Amino acid sequence: MLWVVPPLAVLALTFLYPLTLVVRQADGYGEVFRQASFRDALWNTVVIAVGATAGALLLGFVLALVIAFVPFPGAKSLSRFIDIFLAFPSFLITLALLFVYGSRGMANGLWTDVTGNGTGPFDFLHTPWGVLLAEVTYFTPLVMRPLLAAFSQVETAQMEAAASLGARAPRIVRQVILPEALPALAAGGSLVLVMCLNEFGIVLFTGAKGVTTLPTLIYGKAILDGDYTGACVVAVVNVLLSAALYGLYRLLVARVTKGGARRAGA
Amino acid sequence: MLVHSRWARRAVQAVFFLLFLPVFALPFLVVLAASFATDWSGALPSGLTVTHYQDIAQGDSLTALTTSLVTALAASLIALAVGTWAALAAERLPRRVRRVVDALFMLPVAVPSVVVGLSLLVAFSEPPLLLNGTREIVVIAHTVLVTAFAHQSVTAALTRLDPAYEQSAASLGARPSYVLWRVKLPLLLPSLTAAAGLCFALSMGELSATMMLYPPDWLPLPVKIFGTTDRGALFAGAALAVVLMVATLAVLLGVSRIRTRASYR
Amino acid sequence: MTRGGIRFDGVTVAYGDTVVLDSLDLTVETGEVMALLGPSGSGKTTALRAVAGFVRPTAGRVLIGGQDVTGLPPYKRGIGMVVQQYALFPHLRVDANVAFGLKARKAPRGEIAGRVAEALEMTGMTAYAKRYPRELSGGQQQRVAIARALAVRPGVLLLDEPLSALDAQLRSGMLTELAKLHRDLPDVSMLYVTHDQSEALTLADRIAVMDRARLQDCGTPRELYRSPGSAFTASFVGSANLLTGVWCGTDVVEVAPDLRIRVREGAADGPREGDVTVCVRPHLVGLGEPDGSGLNVVRGAVTGLQWRGSSHRVTVAVAEGCEVTAEVGELRVPPGLGERVALHFACEDAVPVGVPGA
Repeated sequence: MLWVVPPLAVLALTFLYPLTLVVRQADGYGEVFRQASFRDALWNTVVIAVGATAGALLLGFVLALVIAFVPFPGAKSLSRFIDIFLAFPSFLITLALLFVYGSRGMANGLWTDVTGNGTGPFDFLHTPWGVLLAEVTYFTPLVMRPLLAAFSQVETAQMEAAASLGARAPRIVRQVILPEALPALAAGGSLVLVMCLNEFGIVLFTGAKGVTTLPTLIYGKAILDGDYTGACVVAVVNVLLSAALYGLYRLLVARVTKGGARRAGA
Repeated sequence: MLVHSRWARRAVQAVFFLLFLPVFALPFLVVLAASFATDWSGALPSGLTVTHYQDIAQGDSLTALTTSLVTALAASLIALAVGTWAALAAERLPRRVRRVVDALFMLPVAVPSVVVGLSLLVAFSEPPLLLNGTREIVVIAHTVLVTAFAHQSVTAALTRLDPAYEQSAASLGARPSYVLWRVKLPLLLPSLTAAAGLCFALSMGELSATMMLYPPDWLPLPVKIFGTTDRGALFAGAALAVVLMVATLAVLLGVSRIRTRASYR
Repeated sequence: MTRGGIRFDGVTVAYGDTVVLDSLDLTVETGEVMALLGPSGSGKTTALRAVAGFVRPTAGRVLIGGQDVTGLPPYKRGIGMVVQQYALFPHLRVDANVAFGLKARKAPRGEIAGRVAEALEMTGMTAYAKRYPRELSGGQQQRVAIARALAVRPGVLLLDEPLSALDAQLRSGMLTELAKLHRDLPDVSMLYVTHDQSEALTLADRIAVMDRARLQDCGTPRELYRSPGSAFTASFVGSANLLTGVWCGTDVVEVAPDLRIRVREGAADGPREGDVTVCVRPHLVGLGEPDGSGLNVVRGAVTGLQWRGSSHRVTVAVAEGCEVTAEVGELRVPPGLGERVALHFACEDAVPVGVPGA
């Protein structure tokens, strides 16, 4: 029983105690809430996070489905690739996108090469769309991992039985695979949502002027403006938002999966 | 098999690669290509050069690399120790208490890294613990952030560990400490090294909390990359990013070699 | 000092309201092999784990070698244990696995090698000392597990379904070897948990039959087989025809209005009145009209016929809702379904086994 005390003490000193100090130092909520920059950041954060989560869920589901059920040579090493992908920092994606869609980059370069125009049409990187694209790219593997694990549990016999009964692929996906995948989708989705709400590197590298989210606002207030109190207010909002959305999402998901289980049991 | 006809399977695979390659493989390739270029105004980069790497080998970028390596090494080792300790200790607790402990250790994942950085600034900016502006505060921040992952993977490995091993050892007369050192830790070794690798990689790429905390004399590589690209030196930044990726990959590969040697089944 | 011997003294194990072991009283003598036989969920494994110390009794005491070990942690109990999935340490070679207990108990360094060699010798695994567990077959792993448990020279050896992960052929070979081990180690008490009656009948000196958290019956295999104490024992140890009826005389049972059978003469099995279940072993039932007198004869139409290679099983409806199965040597001309036949069995072989439903 006592053995758990030392690591807990470390955690308390380095994480829990500082966090309570942030809450205690946050002051002047009304003033911060009235600032347009705060409201913009809040709106951006939520919209981008929800959009990126939806995108990552969709893309991740399709990709995992193919890897798991339409095997091809090299599918095994792909899952290793996913692990490595997740070990790299997120800002690399934004950096890469700069070379793909940036004003000096591959896509625009291709366009000017082909059409002879001076500038290309792709100019969305410094808008929320750029952040969205980067977040979908970066967080999709986070959805794929639990999905691949769940798909490996789907019994081939079950699918063959469905196929032998005349079910076509879309129907099998809907009625056999999707119910099995729901918990994994839920787990992956909720994780991605929180990660997106908290994402900093991608937004920072996009060029902070165009898009501000809560984490970059915290950084700006604390480091650039030296306004610790204001930063603490935004931090509290961000933490609450993450926790609340996360909780809400889990609640919704619990209801969905329970309904699914009941239907299967009937 | 979901798709039966060969033609349909080919089609699905084609769509897959159309989605997968541009989205996931392309980012690494373009960064790699850009790191050897000076300009990218056509379909392909132009002005091939290795000067970016020569600059890295001479300038203070090397310091940034060692800074990152040292920070990551320290943070991942401490995180592994704390996380493993907590996971092992939590195993013996009553179920409810254990859930609370597990949740507490997972909490840093749900809290934005920027807030972790901010909280350390707020907490340690005044005596008795004046750490603001020191290297230690960067290491602490990284440790806090990666401990969650260490704790999570060790906890997962512990639940997978067949209790029969521990019980057989106990029935043979081994005390709990003996069981821990001679049975549990050796059996957990593959998971521990995997966790260490993950922590190391995450710490190598940590930017958010670091941006809040780094002192001028302890500037990790991701911060350096940001500074470089923010100045507009995109191609030099790409070279630095390649160095970061290669260093991370090398460590991950090394760790996975230990892992395969240490896995018994 | 008596090293061996296990005693359960009113041992009860409960999780909340669920009682998984209900006041078990049982003594395993020094050098005895006691089989705990029962279906899954009968509490047999819980009983073994209570001896090992992995389960703490809610009430009662566990004694090993006369010493109360109820409060002792597993590593202080001086036991050896072999489990179904072997649980060999995958990171240690065979010899290190066997030496594990000795090192853990801080046996003198000079002694370890000798005792490891001895345990490997005893289980015939000497040639595999330098292998890793993953390089061994299931049967070989089980031998190493036994060697590992024996190396510490325990007074008590606990075996938890040790053969159930092996295929049938290996299992019978291992049974023979376990019996030999038992002869080689006359002082070691063994508690052998199994759901397989043939293992229990082959190996055990005595069998304790468990069901629904309770000890149902305990005796030598022969006793249990010949005179089961309950309908459950009768059906679980060997196969049985169970006929329910009513006493109508000191040794006559009415199974159906026009069917009375004479049963084994009065044993100390309680008052002979009211309802009763009678057990008749199928292989003790003969087909056809009896040669001698003094036998029970029942007649009816054949409802089932199974050919089992060396034998036939003939099931006959002898009364409304009452069937008797006879297991007889292979018949040259088996009766057809629906054909009326006679079955006979000795009064001695019709054993009252208590009140139905008890």
